[in-house]
Amino acid sequence: MRPMAHFFCRYRKITCNFVPTLMASRNTYDEAAVVEQLHHPDTARAAFGQVIEHYSSSLYWQIRRMVVDHDDANDVLQNTFIKAWTSIDNFRGDAKLSTWLYKIAINESITFINKKKVMNQVSIDDDDSFLVNSLESDEWFDGDDAQLKLQKAIATLPEKQRLVFNMRYFDEMKYDDMSEILGTSVGALKASYHHALKKIEAFFEESD
Amino acid sequence: MKHEEPDILKRIGKDAGFKVPENYFAEFNARMAQELPEVTITEVNEKPSLWLRVRPYVYLAAMFAGVWCTMKVFTGITTNQMSTQQRMSEIAPGIIMEQNADEFLNYGVASDYDIMTYEDSVQMDVEIDANK
Repeated sequence: MRPMAHFFCRYRKITCNFVPTLMASRNTYDEAAVVEQLHHPDTARAAFGQVIEHYSSSLYWQIRRMVVDHDDANDVLQNTFIKAWTSIDNFRGDAKLSTWLYKIAINESITFINKKKVMNQVSIDDDDSFLVNSLESDEWFDGDDAQLKLQKAIATLPEKQRLVFNMRYFDEMKYDDMSEILGTSVGALKASYHHALKKIEAFFEESD
Repeated sequence: MKHEEPDILKRIGKDAGFKVPENYFAEFNARMAQELPEVTITEVNEKPSLWLRVRPYVYLAAMFAGVWCTMKVFTGITTNQMSTQQRMSEIAPGIIMEQNADEFLNYGVASDYDIMTYEDSVQMDVEIDANK
């Protein structure tokens, strides 16, 4: 919906208590129609079912690369969707739905990592290397030595560089989209990615 | 700016080595949709009321009316101040003539006729005072 249309709109509070409907067999996903349906009590839940179906995979991998462990990623993904659902009124369609969901997922991931640091008595200023300590014994990791070493290298990066590297290298996300999600200029993102590449290269050279 | 990826990344490729349980996403999607809590959805009314539609224009008109009133008030004050000043400038020469007549005469600015007229008026004043 166009932003000006929202300006002139009148809002009415209605409690949504409809039976959840999952449209598992839906093949097409029309984002504009889904966003429209999200703002109507009788269609919101079903529309959000489509949102879950459409974005769960991409959000999961984004979260997984941040928190590393599958069970943790599962919890964070669940929290992400619950947070998005409970604050769906705040999403007025001014930004892309994917951008909004990615922002929530990243914030939830960072919050989770910080909580885990406290639980593991790791200083908040230290890097996130502790996340990959048990990766070798993780049943949901089947990478070889090089892939394991890459995960260790990525874990040494500062938070922002790690996010940028994951989005750019694994997801091949455009800098413009990353800029919207992370709220950073394209130039700064390119610089972050460049630094991340250099640090990863240096990590491999040192460990060889 | 195109970043050249290190050789090691080219060898590893884009696979991070992570995997998920079988049917994980299908099961997650179904479970997640079921577990969504009850929320209050704010319905968007597509047909806004007449007041909501005209409200911006009313505000705009009120703003212009306010500016016009402000200008009107300031213009009135300025006009009053100007007319007071004009009156003062008309009265002032007469006051100066009476108060500084001797000084005026001593400087020789006045003509003989002026001096005579002035002396006559002074004489008349003296006589009037004497008759009282």
